[in-house]
Amino acid sequence: MEELFNINLDKIPISSKKEKSSRKKNLEIFLESGFPNKKDEDWKFTDFNLIIKKNFRNINNNFDFSSERKIEFINEIDHNNIVMVNGLYKSSDLKFEEKEKVKIESLKPVEETNVQSNNNLYCLNKALSLGGFCLEIQDNYKCKKPIIIYNYSTSNLDNKIINNSNKIKLNQNSELTLIEYNINEKSKFIKNTFENVEINDNSVLKSITIQKRKSDGYFYKNISGTQGYNSSYQNFILSSGLKFNKIELDINLNKENSNCYVISGLCLGKGEHQEIKTRVNHLAPRCKSYQKIKNVLENDSNGVYQGKIFVKDIAQKTDAYQLSKALILDDQAEFNAKPELEIYADDVKCSHGSTSGSIDPEAIYYLKTRGIEQSIAKKLLINGFLNEIFENIPETKLKALLEKSIEEQIDGI
Amino acid sequence: MKSEELKNQEYKYGFTTEIENFKAPKGLSEETIRFISKIKKEPKWMLEWRLKAFNRLNVLKEPNWQKPKYPKIDYQNLYYYSAPKSMKDKPKSLDEVDPKLLETYNKLGIPLNEQKKLSGVAVDAVFDSVSVATTFKGELDKKGIIFCPISEAIQKHPELVRKYLGSVIPISDHYFATLNSAVFTDGSFVYIPPNTRCPMELSTYFRINASETGQFERTLIIADKGSYVSYLEGCTAPMRDENQLHAANVELVALDDAEIKYSTVQNWYPGDKDGVGGIYNFVTKRGACRGKNSKISWTQVETGSAITWKYPSCILQGDNSVGEFYSIAITNNHQKADTGTKMIHLGKNTKSKIISKGISAGKADNTYRGLVDIGSKASNSRNYTQCDSLLMGNKCGAHTVPYIKNKNSSSTVEHEATTSKINEDQLFYCNQRGLNQEEAVSLIVNGFCKEVLQQLPMEFAVEAQKLVSISLEGSVG
Repeated sequence: MEELFNINLDKIPISSKKEKSSRKKNLEIFLESGFPNKKDEDWKFTDFNLIIKKNFRNINNNFDFSSERKIEFINEIDHNNIVMVNGLYKSSDLKFEEKEKVKIESLKPVEETNVQSNNNLYCLNKALSLGGFCLEIQDNYKCKKPIIIYNYSTSNLDNKIINNSNKIKLNQNSELTLIEYNINEKSKFIKNTFENVEINDNSVLKSITIQKRKSDGYFYKNISGTQGYNSSYQNFILSSGLKFNKIELDINLNKENSNCYVISGLCLGKGEHQEIKTRVNHLAPRCKSYQKIKNVLENDSNGVYQGKIFVKDIAQKTDAYQLSKALILDDQAEFNAKPELEIYADDVKCSHGSTSGSIDPEAIYYLKTRGIEQSIAKKLLINGFLNEIFENIPETKLKALLEKSIEEQIDGI
Repeated sequence: MKSEELKNQEYKYGFTTEIENFKAPKGLSEETIRFISKIKKEPKWMLEWRLKAFNRLNVLKEPNWQKPKYPKIDYQNLYYYSAPKSMKDKPKSLDEVDPKLLETYNKLGIPLNEQKKLSGVAVDAVFDSVSVATTFKGELDKKGIIFCPISEAIQKHPELVRKYLGSVIPISDHYFATLNSAVFTDGSFVYIPPNTRCPMELSTYFRINASETGQFERTLIIADKGSYVSYLEGCTAPMRDENQLHAANVELVALDDAEIKYSTVQNWYPGDKDGVGGIYNFVTKRGACRGKNSKISWTQVETGSAITWKYPSCILQGDNSVGEFYSIAITNNHQKADTGTKMIHLGKNTKSKIISKGISAGKADNTYRGLVDIGSKASNSRNYTQCDSLLMGNKCGAHTVPYIKNKNSSSTVEHEATTSKINEDQLFYCNQRGLNQEEAVSLIVNGFCKEVLQQLPMEFAVEAQKLVSISLEGSVG
C-alpha cells in the first residue's frame, strides 16, 4: 500500500539555515499526529483525518505554478484585481487606486507573523508554505473600487497539497472591500491557507468569499484577525460547491467600539461538506459582534457551524449575537451546530439561537395554490431563506453579484 | 426571608454525626471489591459483574475535557465502604435502628419515624454506604411496588436487577460510571408493575458522614407498561476541609406508556467562602424511554457541591416518547458547575424540552453543556432548548456549550440562549416598594427560576425556593 504522505522539503527554496531547521521541525510535529480527527474539540463534527485517508494517497507538495488558462474576469462590477495561481501571487492590476496608497507584493513565508499553537495544520503550513500575497492600505485612504482576488487552481493538482499564507493590513482610517473569487479546475487536492488580518483604528474591511463552479478540492482556511478602535470587519461567506471546506475565523476585538460581522449563506449539494468555525474574542468594552449562518442542505451534504463568543471580564457593554439556521431537505443530510458562549463580564447582552428543520409544507402549499410549480416554489422559498443575509449591504452592484452567486448555488443543487 | 436571616444562614447541614464506623480497607483494589460484595452478601454473578467493571477501569482514563479543573484524586487514599457499626446486622424495623442515626435524619428535616406514620412520601435513607431505613414498605407491597435498597433487591429480585442493571449505563461507559459499577455500595431500587400508579412520592435521602470516604450509590428505577412514578432525591454532607467524591449512577427505564418523574435537590456541602473543601459531585444519570409513548422528566436544583459535573440524559428509543429536562444551577463563591443534558432522539415523533437556568455569583463558574441529537430515523421529532444565564458581578463566569446534531429532514430543533445580569429597572422597582437589595434579588431570581421550580413536587418546591435564596446570600453589592 502506498504511503499517505510523500512530502519533499528539499525542493523548497530556503534563505537561511534557521528556516530549514524550523521547517523540518514543524513537519515532524505535523507527521507525528497527522491531520486532526474527532478527538480534537475543534474538529468534533468532522473527522478530517478520516476524510483525507479515504480520498488521498501519496500526498505531495506542489511546485508547479504555471497557469494554462486565461482567467475570465468578472464584468459586472468595476474592480481591481489580484491573480493568484495555486496559492502563489502571480500578478495584479490596481487601476482604480492611487499607486502609493495600496501596496501589494508577494509574501515571503519568513515574514509570516501568524502566532498560533496546538493547531496541527498550522505546523503543516509553517513547514511547507511558499508564501502568498501581502496587501497593505495606507493611512487615511479609502479604496475606490473593490479588489477581487482571483484564486485560480490548475488541473494538474491530483494528490497535491498547497500551503500558502497571506497577510492583509489596513492602516488607520482606511477602507477596503475585498472579494475572494475561487476558480478551480478539476483536480483533487488539499489547500491549507493561513491568513493574517490587521485592521487598525477607524478602518473598515469588507471581505467576501464566493465560488465559481464546483470543485473536488479540500480546503482549509484559517483567518486570524486583530481589530483596533472603532474598526469594522465584515465577512460574507458564500463559498459552496466544494467537496470539503472549513473556514476558521479567530478575531480579537482589542480596542473599544470595534465590531465584527460574520454572515454566511450556503447551499450544499451532493457530497459536500462545509464548516464554519468562529471565535470572537471581546477583549475591550463596548464592542459588537454579529454572526448569522444559514445553510440549505440537500442530498447527503453536511453543514457544520461552531461558533464561540468569548467575553473578557473588562469587556462590559458587549453586544454579541449568534444565529444559525438550517434547512434540511433530505434525510441523508446532516447539520451540526455548537454555538458556544464563554462570558466573564456581567453587564453584557449575549444571546444565540439555532434552529434546524425543513421547509414549511404550508408555505409550499400556499404557493402551489397560486399556480406555482412545486420545484419552483421550493427554489423561491430557499432563495427567500438565504437572501435575507444581504440586508445590510448598501452597494447595489455588489448585492446583485452576491444574489447571482446565491441563485447559481440554488440552481446547482 | 429577611436579610439578617439570610446572612446568618451558613450551610446548616454541616454537622457531623459521631458514630462508630465500620470501613472497608483503604484503597481501590480487587480486594476492596470482594470485601464490599461479601459484606453485602451478594451472589456470584454480581461479584463477577463488579470485577468486570474493575478490569475495564484499568483501561479507561479519567476524562479531562470539562471546564472545572480539580486536583488529581488519589483513588488509593479513599474508603470505598463505610457503614455505621450498628448497621452491621441489618435492623429488621425502624425501632431497631440506632437512635443516633434517626436523630441525624431528624436534624436534616427527614424524621423517619414521623414519616412512617404520616402518609405522603416513602423515604429510603442512605447513610454513607448503607441504606438505613425505608418507610412505607407495607403499603407499597400491597400494590406490588418494589421500593428497597439495591443491595436487598440484588438478593430478593435478582431477575429484575440482572435484566436492567447496566442496560442504560453500560459498565464500560466512562471512568466515573465504571468506577461506580465496580464499587457501588447502596442506593434505591424501584420497580413499578404494569398499569400501576405509585400512590405516593418515593424519595431517597443521601448523606455522606464519614471522612475520607467516597459515596458511590446506584439507583435503578423501572417503570413497567402503563405505570407512573415520581421520585425525589436529596443530598447533604458535613462541612470538612477535604474534598469528598460522590460518584453515583442513576438508571431509569420506562417501558410502553410509562412515565418517570425524577427530581433532585442537590445540596452537598459546597466548600467555604474561600473554596476549601466541598463535595465533588460527579454523577451519571441516564434514562431510557424504551417503550412507545413513554416519558422521562428530569428536574434538578443544584445549589451545593464544590464541583457539580453531571448530565441527566434521555435516550428516546420508543416512538412518541418524551424527554424533559428542567434545571437550576446556582454557583456562588468558588463553586463550579458543568451540567446539562443529552437528548438522543431515535424513535419517530419523539419530543424533548430543555429549560436550563444558570445563576453565577461570587467567583463561581457555571457551564451549561448539552447535546441534542436527532437520528436519521427519528422523523417528525422536535426539540426546544432554552438556556438562560444570570451573572452577578464580573468575577464569575457563565458559559453555554450546546451541541446540536440533526440528521432528519422532518424534525425541528430550536435552541435559544441568553446571558444577562439582573435588570436594574426591576431592582429599582422592588427597592421602591420597600424591599431591600437582597430581598429584591431573591425575589427576581426566584422569578427567573420559576419555570423550573414549578416542575418540582410540592414538598420539594418550598425547600428549593428557600435554597435558591440562601445560596445567593452575600453575593449582592
